[in-house]
Amino acid sequence: MDHLQHTFIAEADELLADLEHILLKCDMDLNNKESVEAIFRVMHTLKGSAGMFGFIHIGELTHHLETIFDSIRETHALLSKEIIDLTLQSVDHLKNIIHDRELGRSTNAVRHHGLMSAIATILVEPVAGGDKKAGGKSDIISTYYIIFNLSAGIFKSGNNPLYLIDDVTALGQAVVIPDLSGIPPLSDLAPDCCYTNFELILATTSSPDKIKEVFLFAEDQCGITIEKLSQTDLLSDIRFKSSVLEHALKMSQIGLKRLKSWLKNETNKSDAIARPSNKRESQRSSIRVSSDKLDGLMNLISELVTAQARLTLLARQNNIPEFSNLSENMEKITKQLRDTAFNICLVPLQTLETRFQRLLRDLSRELKKEIDFITDGIETELDKSMIERISDPLLHILRNSVDHGIEASEERVKNGKKKNGTIILKAFHSGTGVYIQIKDDGRGIDTEKIKTQALSKGLITGDTILSEPQILGLVFTPGFSTAEKVTDVSGRGVGMDVVKRNIEAIQGEVKLESRPGEGTTITIRLPLTLSIIDGMRVKIGASEYILPLAAIDKCYEIKTEKLQPGLSQKLALDGHLFPVFNLREAFGEHTEKPKHTQVIKIHHDFPACITVDSVIGEYQAVMKPLTSLYGEKDDFSGATILGDGSVALVMDTAKLIKKLSEKVHATFQ
Amino acid sequence: MEPVTPTTESYLTFDLGDEIFATNVNNVLEILEIPKITKVPRCPPFMRGVINLRGSVLPVIDARSKFGLGETNDTVNSCIMVLEISMQEQDIKIGAVVDAVQEVIKITPADILAAPSIGSKYRGEFIQGMVKCDEQFIMLLDLDKIFSADDTSILQQVAEA
Amino acid sequence: MEKHILVVDDSSSIRDLMTFTLETAGYKVLRGTDGMDALKYFRDTCIDLVITDLHMPKLDGIALIKEIRSKPKYQYVPILVLTTESQSAKKQTAKEAGATGWIIKPFEREKLLTAVQKVIR
Repeated sequence: MDHLQHTFIAEADELLADLEHILLKCDMDLNNKESVEAIFRVMHTLKGSAGMFGFIHIGELTHHLETIFDSIRETHALLSKEIIDLTLQSVDHLKNIIHDRELGRSTNAVRHHGLMSAIATILVEPVAGGDKKAGGKSDIISTYYIIFNLSAGIFKSGNNPLYLIDDVTALGQAVVIPDLSGIPPLSDLAPDCCYTNFELILATTSSPDKIKEVFLFAEDQCGITIEKLSQTDLLSDIRFKSSVLEHALKMSQIGLKRLKSWLKNETNKSDAIARPSNKRESQRSSIRVSSDKLDGLMNLISELVTAQARLTLLARQNNIPEFSNLSENMEKITKQLRDTAFNICLVPLQTLETRFQRLLRDLSRELKKEIDFITDGIETELDKSMIERISDPLLHILRNSVDHGIEASEERVKNGKKKNGTIILKAFHSGTGVYIQIKDDGRGIDTEKIKTQALSKGLITGDTILSEPQILGLVFTPGFSTAEKVTDVSGRGVGMDVVKRNIEAIQGEVKLESRPGEGTTITIRLPLTLSIIDGMRVKIGASEYILPLAAIDKCYEIKTEKLQPGLSQKLALDGHLFPVFNLREAFGEHTEKPKHTQVIKIHHDFPACITVDSVIGEYQAVMKPLTSLYGEKDDFSGATILGDGSVALVMDTAKLIKKLSEKVHATFQ
Repeated sequence: MEPVTPTTESYLTFDLGDEIFATNVNNVLEILEIPKITKVPRCPPFMRGVINLRGSVLPVIDARSKFGLGETNDTVNSCIMVLEISMQEQDIKIGAVVDAVQEVIKITPADILAAPSIGSKYRGEFIQGMVKCDEQFIMLLDLDKIFSADDTSILQQVAEA
Repeated sequence: MEKHILVVDDSSSIRDLMTFTLETAGYKVLRGTDGMDALKYFRDTCIDLVITDLHMPKLDGIALIKEIRSKPKYQYVPILVLTTESQSAKKQTAKEAGATGWIIKPFEREKLLTAVQKVIR
């Protein structure tokens, strides 16, 4: 029985997480029939299994919630914010009492009672709007894809296509995408010809005939195709809409095929949420695996990669053709296996989206601030271990943005800003890293106030001269501020030192930019992976190092005598002057200098080069942590074991260059 | 911290320069010949670098310079003691290069002489005690304490000066 | 800016009805009794839209459309033709001649204004 209860708890956890997600979706679109259906089904499933596994209290709560959503479903009533609120509270409560089946904790018992009576009130009142809707217009929103191809001579008939587009968009919500690809060069352009075609995505209650009517006069001069994409309002689906808008920027046709492919992605996703009852079947294509097993797999693969390196070395030394072939073949397979396994461990940032939205929703209500939360690129994938560890820092930053960044509506309006604050969470890949940005359009950070605060805390002295970024950096200093103090400083120092520490613990970096009155942007850079990277083996003195391949832009070979002594200098490469950091100097390498030196250009915030004695070749580096003894050696992200069993350090080029340039600046000052 | 029991404890003795030291065998995981050590740039001199210990990366220190006993070159007898130390509430593995490893000796608590607090060459807090063995004194080192301290010279400040 | 609509029809009742409807909707209305009569406006007058009947003495609707389209200054002026349900073939002829759209008689106020708004704003 115990074992079965665990199964129930695991299932319920999952169902409740889904439920929360759907509810938040509903919260933005009260008219979403499918979500009501989905909520009903989740409640139904929960009720059923709770009963079977002896979770009586979960059973009764979900039973009543099921009744509410059933009646909404039956009467086509509108969901109300109250119901969503109540259901969300119930979800929280359910999450608690899964682990407190008998309501042993008094807080749970009290809450349970409270929720039950709140639900009872709703049950007694007929669900709002139910009857009104039933008799009203049957306004089901469907989404259409319209191709509006214009004949070049359309102007000659006195038609203005823009009027037609206005009329179509007046039918509902629409995205209009002009296709400008037909516009000829200016010399060939006839001013009275029309070269533009349009694509429209229209979410409307109107029938296709009604849409067609708009084009009545232009029908014979234009090709008009109207395709029904969906029975639902796709444009309220932010993900779909953003795919469309993103494509629209390219000024070329989207086409039905592409739209349908986006659609397929969408429906697959929403199907997964909307039909918990079908879950068993669809799960066959994806299985749940415990993280421990994945960690185990990654460890084994790391060992395999290391063993492979040894094998490759051995094959090279022995020069037996069969052996070499075998070893090469093995190397390929190992690489594929590594990539596959690595991929398995990638999780999109999206998995945290529900938590972010929930936080934003609850907090903005609590603080009575109106905030539009926009996510962008959250399909960006990160190693699962990183997702786990980045979640808290991100929540913390978001909380700060809502709490201290975004002003109250009145204040915003007074300052000529739009009433709703905006917080954008954006993620993207670049170079060797994944970037996560949190941007708000709030009041920003007042550097003067930070200085005062830092002074009063004794973090700086009165005569310390600091640049703007340095001042902003003070908020990351331990002991900069405590919650009570910060609220009136408009700062966001609440535990930012902890945020920074947590991010640095996963080899990340955090940067803060702010403009008073305009907002604050926090950018987090994380390494792509913590486990295995593609690297380049280089040699400096007697030691070998690994450079992440993704960080390398280009290599140049120069005569060593051309290098001036000293840590840094400028060198002309490809006709540009670049700062070059001499790693022999930086690492205190006093062995005999080679005749030639390799200058490696690194992708960085600014173009910069480093020097090494020689380049040995590519290498898959299994990242091993440097122990805490080397905690501050953050110019190395770890170490790896080479084929001959020796250890090579893996450079974190971004941090290394940053550190070296700071050092150079310090010497100049 | 070892519980205080009247039973005998095993200690491993090793040489640093002319002196013999010993540490509780519970601290010692294994003894290695010195492999190729990869140095980590810009570290204090006592950090010899890192080595590959069956697939994981082990930091290696030079016990002589760590303890403030001066530096010498490695000899055929030099080896690495792989130690497990609790440092800031964390168990870490670390390799220590010593001049030679001698033997495991059994010591009962009664054998342990208190380290003289005055007139000793060594800092009292790092020395658990001394035992006399074959007319030579062996210093029992408290490794956890040594590695947790910022200044890890085991010599008395006076002696150093 | 006030939009000028030229209404061309040989039936005075229809002219009056249209004039009333369009003027109450805020348009400035010019009137022509037939194609020939209407052509007098196509010199300097500002015309934003022409609504014309097809069957008219002297110069019929199709000929009028062709005339208008041949004048560079007016070649892009929207032209709506008045037709009846039974003569849908005429619609096609008119479009080929250069008409922008059509209004089917009999029409109600709303229908007329919708059609007008389809071509001028």
